[in-house]
Amino acid sequence: MKKYNTPLIDDLEKGPWPSFVTEMKKAAKNNEMANDAVGHLEKCYSTKLGYWKHGGIVGVLGYGGGVIGRYSELGEEFPGVAHFHTVRLNHPSAWFYTTKALREVMGIWDKYGSGLTNVHGSTGDMILLGCKTDALEPLFAEYSSRGWDLGGSGSALRTPSCCVGPARCEWANYDTLDICYNLTQEFQDELHRPSFNYKFKFKFSGCACDCVASIARADMSFIGTWKGDIKIDQAEVKNYAKTMDINAEIVNMCPTQCMSYDGKELKINDGECNRCMHCITRMTKALKPGGERGATICIGSKAPIVVGSLLSWVIIPFIKLEPPYTELKDLIRKIWDWWSDNSKPRERIGELIEVKGMRSFLEAIGVAPQPQQIKEPRRDPFMFYTDEDIAKFKANEAEEKKTGKYRF
Amino acid sequence: MGRPEDIRQAILDYASKGAKTKFYFKDMLVGVKKTIPDTNVSEVKNMASEMVREGVLELFSTGSSTLYGLKGRGISVEKSGDTGG
Repeated sequence: MKKYNTPLIDDLEKGPWPSFVTEMKKAAKNNEMANDAVGHLEKCYSTKLGYWKHGGIVGVLGYGGGVIGRYSELGEEFPGVAHFHTVRLNHPSAWFYTTKALREVMGIWDKYGSGLTNVHGSTGDMILLGCKTDALEPLFAEYSSRGWDLGGSGSALRTPSCCVGPARCEWANYDTLDICYNLTQEFQDELHRPSFNYKFKFKFSGCACDCVASIARADMSFIGTWKGDIKIDQAEVKNYAKTMDINAEIVNMCPTQCMSYDGKELKINDGECNRCMHCITRMTKALKPGGERGATICIGSKAPIVVGSLLSWVIIPFIKLEPPYTELKDLIRKIWDWWSDNSKPRERIGELIEVKGMRSFLEAIGVAPQPQQIKEPRRDPFMFYTDEDIAKFKANEAEEKKTGKYRF
Repeated sequence: MGRPEDIRQAILDYASKGAKTKFYFKDMLVGVKKTIPDTNVSEVKNMASEMVREGVLELFSTGSSTLYGLKGRGISVEKSGDTGG
């Protein structure tokens, strides 16, 4: 195996933090591809050039995604990275692996690829970095024979992901793990056979802490919430008061100012609460969500790839999310139909709603306009009025001006 | 509803005669609908998937977005300005 001199990337091993260079060098001891990747990286640093070609016609039979072509221009100098495709492996809900499963994944990956991984990619999948084209089919055959599947890539539904939910968290307002698995199974065709105009992502958070950052990263964000009053244990509040300034750290930090504390009793005006979770996460023993539990569904967030970033926008203020999720699946299909019919290639649903307006979107998916959908105060009341309403208003206004009754 | 063999032929015509050798699904759908106006998304999608399995069409992915193409027509590897997210 060729030994590369790597003074520039060695610098990245210094300091107190873990270094990806150290990990690559460990893999390089036993793997020619990983070894060439180390040499290739040093060359990129020394010439200040990237040599990667991006994208291509690689994949496995029957799948339109899950493999992303990567090639190096320096294939002759570094044959191990001439083909260095990325493989996305669908992760289990909330990334719960047994050590046995991880050993199985790595055993297969060491056999066919570079042994390098990215655990995990930002979509959520286990990312396997560096596979030659002719190894893709045997790699996939071995994974699928043991129950693993590829994740989504390209213009398709991306691998859904969720927070740990009720498996480890008392604040989960619905079973994030179950819905993530259920929708992954339901929409296999959309995941593996790209026919959307661009990517589409689901992310499931059990509460407003939003541990998978669904509000910013998912075309369709599911964020757990509740209907009802926050349960207060006043004895525990007193205990917290011994070590915490409740007014400074809780009451004054409440975004809606719906709390008060007089040194004896904590009061919450639940009608004004927007369920941000701040007080509950700071006083875990004293406060708990109460009443009916479910989720808020928001739409349209994205990172700034084509145009600017967006945060998701509420479309369903409250829905109970329980198997078999029939109502939700129907809603998702309606959303996809409208998006497919109206969007341009590489236009995300959030961008399309910005163009067409929330009113058209709500009409198409059969959801009534509601006050909770208003994105910013004094901005979106248009969604309550149809074109006919506005025409009628303008006709009235013209009539009033003509007859001298116009008062503004 | 279009007949499967008509949809197949319309896809083939679009893929082999169009100016672009790689195209988005939506563009192909619009092309097919010009010949068969009453066809729908799922019919075209199912036929395109079948043609990919048969090796008639191929998929080009940047990682971020996916394009279709007639196998052997145009280049198979190219640079993309995409980030592959």
